[in-house]
Amino acid sequence: MRFINYWFHLQQYIRFMVAFSSLYEERCAFTRDYNAIKTELQKLDDYDKTGIESALQGASQLVLGEWGNNIACQFVLITDGNTGVGPLSLTESFSTLNHRNASNPFPLPFAFPAKLHVVCIAPNNDPNLVKSKPLYQRLVDMTGYDGSVLIPDGNLCESTIVSMFQKLAEDMYTSFRGTLKCGNLESRVTLSPAPIPYTKLTDFDCQTNVLSELIEVCGFMPIADVGSPMAISRHLILPTSSLGKENLPLNAEIDLADEDTAEEGKVPSFCVLLHGALKVENMTALVTLGENWFGFIYSWADSKKKSNLMLTVLTPGSDAVPWLGDLNHLDSSDNLMPEQVGSFPVRPSEKRSYSQNGVELNRLRKAAISLGFLDLLNGLAYIFEQECTQLPGSAHPDCALQLTHAADVLRKTQNKDIKYVILPLITNYNSS
Amino acid sequence: MIRFFASDTVAHIMNTWSPLQQNLNHVMNGMSLLGVPPPIRSSQPPKDYSVVHGLRAAIEALGECTDLQLEKRKAMTLGDGNVKLINKCRIICITSARDNDSMKRLQEIFNNCLHAHNKAAVSSDRYLQIDHCHLVIIHTFPVNIESQVTQQPPRNISSLLTTEVYPIKAPLISNKLSSLILHHYDLASTTVTGIPMKEEQNASSSANYDVEIFHSKEAHTAILKGNAADSLAIRTIKEGLEYETVTLKWCTPRGCSASELQNCTSMYRITPVEVNSRPSLCLINFLLNGRSVMLEMPRKAGGKITSHLLASHGGEIFVHTLCTARSVLEDPPSISEGCGGRVTDYRITDFGLLIQQNRLLPIKSSYLGNLPISIPKVKARLNRHTKYWPLTISSTLIFNLKNYIDPLPSIITKEKITDEEMVQCKQVIYNLIALESKHEPLHLANVGQRSKGQKREEQYKIMWNELETLLKNNCHSENHKMVYNCLIECHKFNSDDGDKVELDQALRELDQMTKGDPEVQRASVIRATTDSPMSPPPLTSIAPPLSRNVHNRLGGIYSTPRSLYDIFTSQDKSKTRPDFAGRTGDSNVAKFNIVNIFYSIGE
Repeated sequence: MRFINYWFHLQQYIRFMVAFSSLYEERCAFTRDYNAIKTELQKLDDYDKTGIESALQGASQLVLGEWGNNIACQFVLITDGNTGVGPLSLTESFSTLNHRNASNPFPLPFAFPAKLHVVCIAPNNDPNLVKSKPLYQRLVDMTGYDGSVLIPDGNLCESTIVSMFQKLAEDMYTSFRGTLKCGNLESRVTLSPAPIPYTKLTDFDCQTNVLSELIEVCGFMPIADVGSPMAISRHLILPTSSLGKENLPLNAEIDLADEDTAEEGKVPSFCVLLHGALKVENMTALVTLGENWFGFIYSWADSKKKSNLMLTVLTPGSDAVPWLGDLNHLDSSDNLMPEQVGSFPVRPSEKRSYSQNGVELNRLRKAAISLGFLDLLNGLAYIFEQECTQLPGSAHPDCALQLTHAADVLRKTQNKDIKYVILPLITNYNSS
Repeated sequence: MIRFFASDTVAHIMNTWSPLQQNLNHVMNGMSLLGVPPPIRSSQPPKDYSVVHGLRAAIEALGECTDLQLEKRKAMTLGDGNVKLINKCRIICITSARDNDSMKRLQEIFNNCLHAHNKAAVSSDRYLQIDHCHLVIIHTFPVNIESQVTQQPPRNISSLLTTEVYPIKAPLISNKLSSLILHHYDLASTTVTGIPMKEEQNASSSANYDVEIFHSKEAHTAILKGNAADSLAIRTIKEGLEYETVTLKWCTPRGCSASELQNCTSMYRITPVEVNSRPSLCLINFLLNGRSVMLEMPRKAGGKITSHLLASHGGEIFVHTLCTARSVLEDPPSISEGCGGRVTDYRITDFGLLIQQNRLLPIKSSYLGNLPISIPKVKARLNRHTKYWPLTISSTLIFNLKNYIDPLPSIITKEKITDEEMVQCKQVIYNLIALESKHEPLHLANVGQRSKGQKREEQYKIMWNELETLLKNNCHSENHKMVYNCLIECHKFNSDDGDKVELDQALRELDQMTKGDPEVQRASVIRATTDSPMSPPPLTSIAPPLSRNVHNRLGGIYSTPRSLYDIFTSQDKSKTRPDFAGRTGDSNVAKFNIVNIFYSIGE
């Protein structure tokens, strides 16, 4: 058996590679160094078996270890069209899906947003491939998002394989081009990393939201009011030249002449103005990212104090941030009657009962009565009386009086009203 | 949502689905009214105490609509096919049975009740069918005897019912409930350790306490699925409990963490586990008072990392999971390195003002009712506020003349203006007319020495033209138009600008020449902001804007119009004939002369 299978993981422009069989092996860590990947590819050997599940498991571990569970990733599984035989085969993996427990879960769907592309280097009519294709498709479907199963167009030869990969690269790495708009002011922008569609699963359906090319400012809010809401992703907003450079090839960044960059720097850009003002005012801009989908734009600095414009993408829906209320109903105070204007944070209609107030006799009594634990009251009365007999000589005389009083009342009222409140005995010592 | 029932000879209902009754206080009050069961060796013959009454009441309650279910049901009866309703529920029953047989009977009775309910619910307007019920029975018994009921793992009694049974010693009920809660609601436990608290008796010193909280399991995903060694080190099983807790260290807050947006990947509401304990109360009050706290986890490789943030928002407490992984935004460029990054005279302060004028606020919930969404309205408002908004200080004159034109700019962008405001705007125009007639020069507020050397007549001309652009673009109502008309009537544009027509003509011709060749256009635009040190100040090089496109991406009217110098240079005559001798060398003097020559022709 000879199977050559290997993985690419492409994360923005950072990739890693895993070779797999019955076990997996990380062949190349996440890197932007293409030569390192190439070198490693040439060293790739054949292994004993095809074990796609172990490869998925390994890839998942590597991503979680390095990037956490929040960064969108793309996987490319390159295979000869085989899914393996025996206990490690994909067929076997699927047949045991329903018998998994916490210790050996199936790695799909991943714990992070991911796209899976299965690239089959096999002739179209390969009998193995015919059998494998639905299994691969199942993997892609389980991963969610819109991955793909790719097969060379026409005969299996170098040119068809190259064009297949080119098509894949174009699909995977189209950068985001959009417009940031605030009324009549606007800027052409790109987002880094490029946003991916967000899929939301509910009880009854599955909704996919695609970020609109128009990012439109609705208004502004202080950072302190916004707090730190949950974000599905964050992107740098980079203003792009509006001077007819839309159709640049992928490697444009490298080709840009210094002179061009210097000149672009001197053309006023709305993005830079917005960034400066948000930073000075300590504010964020609420923006719409699509139908009923919102985000915040603010000034963000990395560890080296390099300041940038950042977009935080909220979960779709106008209720994404509970303490901001319905985002669709935020308004300018000028548009409202004074009595209609509320303030942040928006409070839920019911107060949460997190905890009870401090320990004191009446609360204890109330709790004991609520729970029907009346023996506690007797016990407590007994403890008070004991305490009374053991008071040191230096103790305040009021102590003994109050303890005896408390013990008496606890015994007397034990079957009575819960609303009764035990009050301290008024004595010569405390009636000032 | 949770309902509570007690059962003796009848069922006692402690609360309803009403959100007002879904809290601890309400349930506790109900319990206290219930009182205590009479002693077992009572003189009276034993009454018919049974848990079945409570279970029947529970089934009935589960068939009642909650507010949300009622809403959905209404939508469905109105024929909305997109609305679906599944009524799944769980009952936790704490009781005591004699043996396995009686436990089995109890489950059968329950199953029958459930089916009977569904049968009745088919034809009922009031009750919902129950699609599935999970019955968890906790069989409790005193510590000193042995249970005659054995544990029973989850088992499907019918398509409607799954049951399981746990025999639990009486003092351990609360522990069992805690682990069940985690399982049923997909929750996890975090123990915040090392919280410094002051004792009442000993206020000068503080001791460290731990507080355990519950929250969605998801809040741990990032740290538990990350580095295996790190996650192993923070997971422990608490003594006497069945579940794991993740221990994170309290990180004494320094400064205000609210002043920046944290990279928060998820957030979930929390609850303290021991609602009555002093440390819990202390932590909860700390958070409810508006302070937030970071939690950190140690790393095997050394050091520690901030993994979570506890903070309250509007009286609710949340745990925020912070990003602990490697950032994809490694070494980002600064915004000053990109497009527009080298421009230094953006109108930051003015935009700050616009930000403050366009602050968003919530509408009080009592007024929300059926109000239409306000987002289109606020976008339209921003649109109005930016009808004419030059990006940089050097591309505008009027916005640098605040002491002369205020409050006109802030009034004119309003949707409607009162008669009084209209008069205020007109007054601004009259004042400017008066100043001009007195030959008073205009003093620029924030440009400093840039205005030096600018001729007074030129200054007024530019000011009038720009003011006209501003007003023309802000004719939102009749009163707005009256302000605009006032300007047109008071200031004669055409007769004053004899040379304007020629210049406009020149610009149009230039546009035609450069059409289809963006490089040339760009070069000229850029040159406008990269004048040599000897070129005239930018404001004097502004051409009248009347016929120019206002919505220019490069920042209002003032960056597009060019001086004659620009027109000259953008035609790039050097290619068609030799340059002046003085320009070929590095002679600043020669450049200076050329500029001045053309400048004077322009006048």
